[in-house]
Amino acid sequence: MTTVEPRVVPGAVTTFQVASPDLEAVAHDLADLRLADMFASNGDQTTLRLVWANDTLGEAGYVITETPIENGEYPALSDIAPAAFVEECEIYEQFGIRPASGKPLNRIMLPPHADLPTLGRKPRSEPEEQHAPHLVGGQAFEFPFGPVRQVGVESLYYGLVTSGEEVVDLYLFTWHKHRGLEWRLQGMTPHDALFLAERAEGLSAVAMTWALAAAAEAAAGIQPAKGAQRTRAVAAELERLYNHAAAMAALCQSTGLSVGQSAAEIALERLLRLNARAFGHRYLFGVIDVGGASRAPDADAIREDLPAAYGEFRRAADALLGTNSFVDRLEATGILTAGQARGLGLVGPVARAAGLTADTRLVPGGPYGEQTTVATATAGDVLARFTVMLAEAAESVRLIGQFLDAGTAAGAVEMPGTGGTGLGWAESSRGEALAWIALGDDGRITRARLRPASARNWRGFDDACRSQNVFTDIPIIEASFWLTVAGMAR
Amino acid sequence: MTLWFIRGLRRGVVTTRYPARPDASARFLPTPPAFRSRALTRETAGRLAAICPSGALRLEDRTLVYDVGRCTACGRCAAEAPAAVRSSGEFELAAAARSELIKKIPIRGDLR
Repeated sequence: MTTVEPRVVPGAVTTFQVASPDLEAVAHDLADLRLADMFASNGDQTTLRLVWANDTLGEAGYVITETPIENGEYPALSDIAPAAFVEECEIYEQFGIRPASGKPLNRIMLPPHADLPTLGRKPRSEPEEQHAPHLVGGQAFEFPFGPVRQVGVESLYYGLVTSGEEVVDLYLFTWHKHRGLEWRLQGMTPHDALFLAERAEGLSAVAMTWALAAAAEAAAGIQPAKGAQRTRAVAAELERLYNHAAAMAALCQSTGLSVGQSAAEIALERLLRLNARAFGHRYLFGVIDVGGASRAPDADAIREDLPAAYGEFRRAADALLGTNSFVDRLEATGILTAGQARGLGLVGPVARAAGLTADTRLVPGGPYGEQTTVATATAGDVLARFTVMLAEAAESVRLIGQFLDAGTAAGAVEMPGTGGTGLGWAESSRGEALAWIALGDDGRITRARLRPASARNWRGFDDACRSQNVFTDIPIIEASFWLTVAGMAR
Repeated sequence: MTLWFIRGLRRGVVTTRYPARPDASARFLPTPPAFRSRALTRETAGRLAAICPSGALRLEDRTLVYDVGRCTACGRCAAEAPAAVRSSGEFELAAAARSELIKKIPIRGDLR
């Protein structure tokens, strides 16, 4: 195998073959980029794929390296890019291959004592589930929280380590909701796969199906019509709006501000009803189709209802920003530095609030123009994340108007039913949603990888909780991340 | 906090008693299917059971078993066989026992 030095081509996905002995050197060369995802697939032998993203404005694009794994081991990539650790664990559970360093790997995906199918061969031994010993002057203790939590919150287990009030450490068990979606997608047509993809993380239904559809389109070499692309973008921006309203309501709930919570929820309900009127579904399911969009929005309904719904959102936000007791709880809480966000490959408002500009809407070739404003902040705390969300909501309203004026349409380009591989992406309210697909000669999926933004950003949550925070800050930090457990567990 | 109290009072009550009036957005939303026994053949029922993505439909001899608890109202069955299936418009699906959510639809389309 010959090794070519990988490089990013703006607006494109370039794939390079890298031999296993060269992978470590190549990973060092690419370490300036963001390691966006890492996954394996099974064929004659197991292949390891690393997806690297360049987030620089004007140069945005992706590089994929493909490495056949021969002896069940590969270089310890998490020593080069810390972002790789979660996927190293996941790949070990799913394919039985592991980093050569022999480091302990945690349980990420498969619940213990459940015989759920894996994507490759089973690991030789169970994941070790080791965590660092925690002691502060010999006094720290650890208590479990979850997986069943308060009303309406997804199942999630925190291992919470504390010396009394301060959060010394926190780790997560996220496998309770695992549904084996990537396993279930095998053998499906891309069109049928959308049904499962939009349920991987229901609150990012548009972004995740857009990413999967774009991956299938890239694999087949087709391009949706401009009008259908703008339909997708309108749905994605409506999804961002209602998610940011829901995050605002959750922030109010976590700070005990019940009238503020009601105000945010009124805005949320109006936005959900607008979704139903515009696209026929409150959570925008069924909008995206492979090759285009299955429904066009009711432009008049959006023009009629959006100003009032967004006005409700803005009034609640302005009132909250004018409330000192609320702002004080957000300021300097859950700080994530730019270095931490970059090292862990975080995306979305969490990364942008720490000063990074990662936003897949800036990758050339999509319906978004270069004039799309990406909101950033530098403080990296909960308040910075909240202000980024508010600025994004304002931009979403502007973009929706722009897309409607340019014209939206339904309709899909037909898939040719041939084989190939492709990478797709979309910017969900939580950040970059990625999907990679391999189609067999009959046009059916042989391997699909779904990576919602939640699967990325949970790895920054424990770092944010550790930074000089107390117990009561944890729900506030969780609301500001606004992630789903389903997206992680998929 | 006083300001928030006044703000809350001023906004008043926006929720309504159930069901005060039909939900305006209800007519835009997909609803679970309603079946027409007379238009349902064994062949159609088998096809519907095969395409149902959440496994809510099952063919049992001369009966189509419809599990409302598994249905996601995706509308694929209604699109596949519009003569035998239509959208019910029904939202109030709650039941006191799981067994009440299992509906048995007799297949009568082949009898004529």
